Amino acid sequence: MAVPIILDFTLQQGDFTLQLQERIEAQVVVLFGPSGAGKTSVLEAVAGLRKPQCGVIKIGDTTLFDSNREVDLQSSGRHVGYVPQDLVLFPHLNVKGNILYGVGSGSGQEIDQVVGLLELGDVLDRDIEGLSGGERQRVALARALMVSPAVLLLDEPLTALDADLRSRILPYLERIRDELATPMVYVSHDPSEIRALADAVIVLAAGRAVRSGPDLDLITPA
Amino acid sequence: MYIRFISILVASLAGACAPLERADSVEDRLRVSAAVSLSEPLEKLAASFQRDTGTLVEVNLGGSSTLAAQLLAGAAVDLFISADQLQMDRVIAAELIDVTTMVSLVSNQLVFVVPTDHSIDEMVPSMLRAPEFGRIAMGDPAGVPAGVYARRYLKSTGLWGVVADRMVPARSVRAALAIVEIGAVDAGIVYRTDARVSSGIKVVFEVPVQEGPAIVYPAAVLTEAPNSIAAKRLLGYLQGSLAKAVFEKAGFIVPRIRT
Amino acid sequence: MNDIAQVAFFTVGMATLATLVVLPLGVALAWVLARKQFPGRAVLETLISLPLVLPPVATGLLLIAILGRRGPLGWFLAQMGVEVMFTWLAVVVAMSVMALPLLVRSARSGFEQVDRRYEQIAATLGAGPVRVFLTISLPLARRGLLAGALLGFSRALGEFGATIMVAGSLPSTRTIAVAIYTYTETGQQAAAGLLLVVSATIAFGALMLSNRLAAT
Repeated sequence: MAVPIILDFTLQQGDFTLQLQERIEAQVVVLFGPSGAGKTSVLEAVAGLRKPQCGVIKIGDTTLFDSNREVDLQSSGRHVGYVPQDLVLFPHLNVKGNILYGVGSGSGQEIDQVVGLLELGDVLDRDIEGLSGGERQRVALARALMVSPAVLLLDEPLTALDADLRSRILPYLERIRDELATPMVYVSHDPSEIRALADAVIVLAAGRAVRSGPDLDLITPA
Repeated sequence: MYIRFISILVASLAGACAPLERADSVEDRLRVSAAVSLSEPLEKLAASFQRDTGTLVEVNLGGSSTLAAQLLAGAAVDLFISADQLQMDRVIAAELIDVTTMVSLVSNQLVFVVPTDHSIDEMVPSMLRAPEFGRIAMGDPAGVPAGVYARRYLKSTGLWGVVADRMVPARSVRAALAIVEIGAVDAGIVYRTDARVSSGIKVVFEVPVQEGPAIVYPAAVLTEAPNSIAAKRLLGYLQGSLAKAVFEKAGFIVPRIRT
Repeated sequence: MNDIAQVAFFTVGMATLATLVVLPLGVALAWVLARKQFPGRAVLETLISLPLVLPPVATGLLLIAILGRRGPLGWFLAQMGVEVMFTWLAVVVAMSVMALPLLVRSARSGFEQVDRRYEQIAATLGAGPVRVFLTISLPLARRGLLAGALLGFSRALGEFGATIMVAGSLPSTRTIAVAIYTYTETGQQAAAGLLLVVSATIAFGALMLSNRLAAT
């Protein structure tokens, strides 16, 4: 289900400036572009880990940031599910501890749903250390999903995986999109992923959106 | 392993509480700050006083300058016995001493010592000029009472010029004694009371009391003493005949004239 | 022999208490110094490090200037009938002051080694600052914290200069270090030697443990 997504802000860090003026309706927005274009910075601004100098960030009905009205929600109050590129799984907690971190003890029903969706039932009691790449990715996803986020922020979730694994996890993401109806802001540079998941695209280069819209043919092979 | 470690810590905490008993009221206790060199006879006398009168006597030992610093900061002490007048004067200057109670409790005697295996058994002070006494240990004249007195004596006999270059200043008299014992120096100047306890040295010269500097261990009651009545009683007790015997047994000299 | 055992247990007990006392304050200070910028930060760092660089006697003099009956805090406490100098309280205070800088240093290093990303991600999952501190920062820094606590404990054990100034050398407040000094000065070499061995053994054990924890 599409929701309004407003990414209309300026973020300056050092000599890098990110400037967006996007107001779209979509469920899955993909950020596409070369490295250094600012894609991760967009996710971190939405997550509240970086603060724009001015502008508005709004997902659905919730304003996360509005410099004119002095709105700047703390990360902990933004209800985002952020899965960074390096996953950042907590090393001192096991799989179950990681997944449940955002919800404390968590109700049995919710955890069953997410664990079932991502097929993590067998590894719940394992330590983070021994997990495979694919398992780690799914744990990070599950952890973010458990907080019932208003928006999922995924930073190249499949890039680090081999082709076989990628083809096995993509369906999970599709299921999340379809069954949980959670809006996503998704960073990727793989056209086939994008075609499978996205209904809107923002092409970034050097901190600006050079093209954007619902038209997936915007992604021309580089 | 952690459990054992923690249980030792807990046992220590419990054991630590054992000595922390306090007398019920101020009248029952006395606190004495005394120079550590007096500890042996003083602790005996404090114990016998306690037995006789029922007053609990706590003896706080330390270097006289440390004791004086504590008093200047307002430490709650009843009686102060210093190893020299200098530290007592500091506390007097701060108007913390009841000078009417001040007495010279005991005196001491300077002696020259050498390691036990040294060739000579007797000497006279002028022998210090000899090259074989290249290094001479004593309490640091800059702060240790025994060192101050030693320097005074050496100056009065015209030997300070020679000794000053050969002197090895020690943190305390006992430290000076230790250096002589291990043979790191050729001779030392210490108190008779210190030489008494050491088996690694021998006394080769005793400075005659009339010729030496007047060594005083002044004692006085504090103006802000929590228990000045008992303090005066103790001070009187320390000047009695039993006390005289105990002090002399430890090697101290007890003045004949008592106020 | 009994005396020696009592002194040893007393000292270990007091050092333990002192370590427990400075732990919350030390951890809080370490965290603030590791994570926060604020005016006066350098002053705070210097103040905390003072007991490390000052001669312990100087620290002792400072302490009695504050805690003696003529000092600001001491006078106030005396009005309430509480005496600090020459009591076990003084021992704990002196040990705490000496242990704090070591604890803060090690704990701060422990916190600095915790990747901020963990704290950030925890926040995005809904954890407020207190929860992040308790569930992420603290556990991930625990080796550094423990090493710091052990280091502080060892320092407290060996503390002499400030202790003898504030707590004196009374039978009820004599720590191992003060007892060694007193026994040496009164010619009780055997007792002093024995205490030296006891002291060295305990400190050795604590330091070994601390190094093992900090190394990994």
